[in-house]
Amino acid sequence: MQRRTLLKLGGAASALLAVVGSTAALIRPGLERGTLTPAGREVFRAIAIGVLDKTLPEQPADKQAAVTSLLTRIDALITALPHHAQAELSQLLAILASGAGRLALAGLGTPWATASVADIQMALQSMRLSTLVMRQQAYAALHDITAGAYFSEPTTWTVLGYPGPSKI
Amino acid sequence: MSNIQDPIKDGLARGWKVMGGPFAPPPKQITCDVAIIGSGAGAGITAELLTKVGLKVVIIEEGPLKSSSDFNQIESEAYPQLYQESAARKTEDKAITILQGRCVGGSTTVNWTSSFRTPAPTLAFWQDKFGLKDYNVDALSPYFEQAERRLNIGPWLTPPNENNDLLRRGAAKLGIPALAIARNVKGCWNLGSCGMGCPTNAKQSMLVTTIPAALDKGAQMLVETRAERFELANGRITALLCASQASNTASAQYIRAQSATKIIAKHYVLAGGAINSPALLLRSNAPDPHGNLGVRTFLHPVVMSSGVFEQEVKAWAGAPQTIYTDHFMDTQPIDGPIGYKLEAPPLHPVIFASTVPGMGQTQHDLLKAFPHNHTLLALLRDGFHDQSKGGSVKLRGDGSPALDYPLTDYVMDGARRALLSMVEIQFAAGAGKVLPLHEMARAYSTWTEAKDAVNALPMKPLLTKIVSAHVMGGCGLAGTAKQGVTRPDGVHWQIENLSIHDGSLFPTSIGANPQLSVYGVVNRLAQGLAANLTKQVVKLA
Repeated sequence: MQRRTLLKLGGAASALLAVVGSTAALIRPGLERGTLTPAGREVFRAIAIGVLDKTLPEQPADKQAAVTSLLTRIDALITALPHHAQAELSQLLAILASGAGRLALAGLGTPWATASVADIQMALQSMRLSTLVMRQQAYAALHDITAGAYFSEPTTWTVLGYPGPSKI
Repeated sequence: MSNIQDPIKDGLARGWKVMGGPFAPPPKQITCDVAIIGSGAGAGITAELLTKVGLKVVIIEEGPLKSSSDFNQIESEAYPQLYQESAARKTEDKAITILQGRCVGGSTTVNWTSSFRTPAPTLAFWQDKFGLKDYNVDALSPYFEQAERRLNIGPWLTPPNENNDLLRRGAAKLGIPALAIARNVKGCWNLGSCGMGCPTNAKQSMLVTTIPAALDKGAQMLVETRAERFELANGRITALLCASQASNTASAQYIRAQSATKIIAKHYVLAGGAINSPALLLRSNAPDPHGNLGVRTFLHPVVMSSGVFEQEVKAWAGAPQTIYTDHFMDTQPIDGPIGYKLEAPPLHPVIFASTVPGMGQTQHDLLKAFPHNHTLLALLRDGFHDQSKGGSVKLRGDGSPALDYPLTDYVMDGARRALLSMVEIQFAAGAGKVLPLHEMARAYSTWTEAKDAVNALPMKPLLTKIVSAHVMGGCGLAGTAKQGVTRPDGVHWQIENLSIHDGSLFPTSIGANPQLSVYGVVNRLAQGLAANLTKQVVKLA
């Protein structure tokens, strides 16, 4: 089952998995039962800190709390995705959570948990403007999920100056 | 909790026959005159007309029944509940995000109310290229007129919000005519939350008009129930197999036991939208002797440009999309370089934040400027040129549909011209900065600077931000079996007891927001079907 859906990612993914090692990426799937695994959370925690760098609260404790709360919202968002999208995202996160996959797909040599904001942003930027479609797709998924989920919580709307829905 | 009366709750209290999801489970087998798959624009119109002539109708909807009491204007609840794939449906290469409804009322429950009759040049193209001689302005006009009356479609007399007025003012500065968009509303509160379901029942969607009318006349409706496949024998459908379907958000909360229902009808009407309708026929191994099924799927690919103004725009507030310009369609031949329609979409936090490109400081600056942000969109009129053949619907291993839509150089040339037009209008309207939504663009300060930059951008999928809210084609109408899936009277060319009544009928894109095209065209087809089945004459209004 895992193998079949994996192959659907196409040639680029297959080539990448050959680099990563065919089992490494499968040991730690990014999602289980439609929510983030510890591996998936580690990746998204770093992506959030990179993408939302100037938007998250500045104080370290507040920032940690904001990211943790964001991860809960990302879980809610992922739960509502169809199975095929969950399967693809799970594989993407599995690849990114492995050392070889992180290097091959994101071009990031440092583990997510210890990478600096600048390193994470550079990795994201290289995916964003990559000529490899799969890297571009990965960037778009990570960016859109992170930014969208962040602003699905009314307490974040002060950043946007959005007053919330009109009372009826 | 608001004090707005909820017509769905009232109807259920009156004894509407709704099954599936949170309601009573449907029986193993149902026999009826007509089974209608879907409950959106085409399905709603058909259901009302067929129940009016006394036919026993069953409506099958894969999404949930939600209504004004549920519509709280919150994106994070509306998208998973009311949209296909939580509003994150994408083409196979992930280059286009597709917004499509998945609830009772279909996309009409969540659309932005823009109402246009099918443009005359589009109909002329269909007559000329697809042998659809009866698809002309005069023949269709009474059917549009009835739909407009039934759904209260008319001019919107409230002044446009700043978001739309900027389009009007910018275009006027450049000598470009921009006109008002008719809307299907009654007593609209001008809230701007149409995309999350109308909380005041002002939007005259299928949810509050034709579907209640059909249910009042005894139609049965199965919700959270997916039409899986038809059983076919000798050029006829003998049964429709349906299965209960967990809602997008259900899996974490509870899993219902899968239950199956077999529906045996004299006639079947397929109206599941232009991705799901072809997919059901593909799953059913429906005859397709000429390879027309699920191809020529059109999207009106949309590109966007984001301007930041000194004054507040508050693009979330007030009726969405009330001003448009067709200048960039009307000034060139329909089969020449791709034309485009410009409109001003509403913005809310989730959709805005996931669309704002980039990260860190540049993203933060754009996010902070949200109240001052004005985004224009361009709908590209696809399907009128050899290099715009649209996409194709395929099935994944699990039977779910996937859409492959190659963005050709021809289409992307239009994307560049559209970005240029929008940027110029935004500067003309007084924007301080304009950012075309492209991963390699930045916010520019003058039209000259932006023009040079946009001309140098690589117009490639994934780099260029592209979305779609209009899926059309895949079961195309044509005057001959060789050219299409569906006969001019809406009946499938190879399956005699199947009609197709949704946007999948269109042999090209419409070149305008398609809801009224579906209402008008299907109104005629459903009246014809009612007459064939009952010898009775019926009108929508």
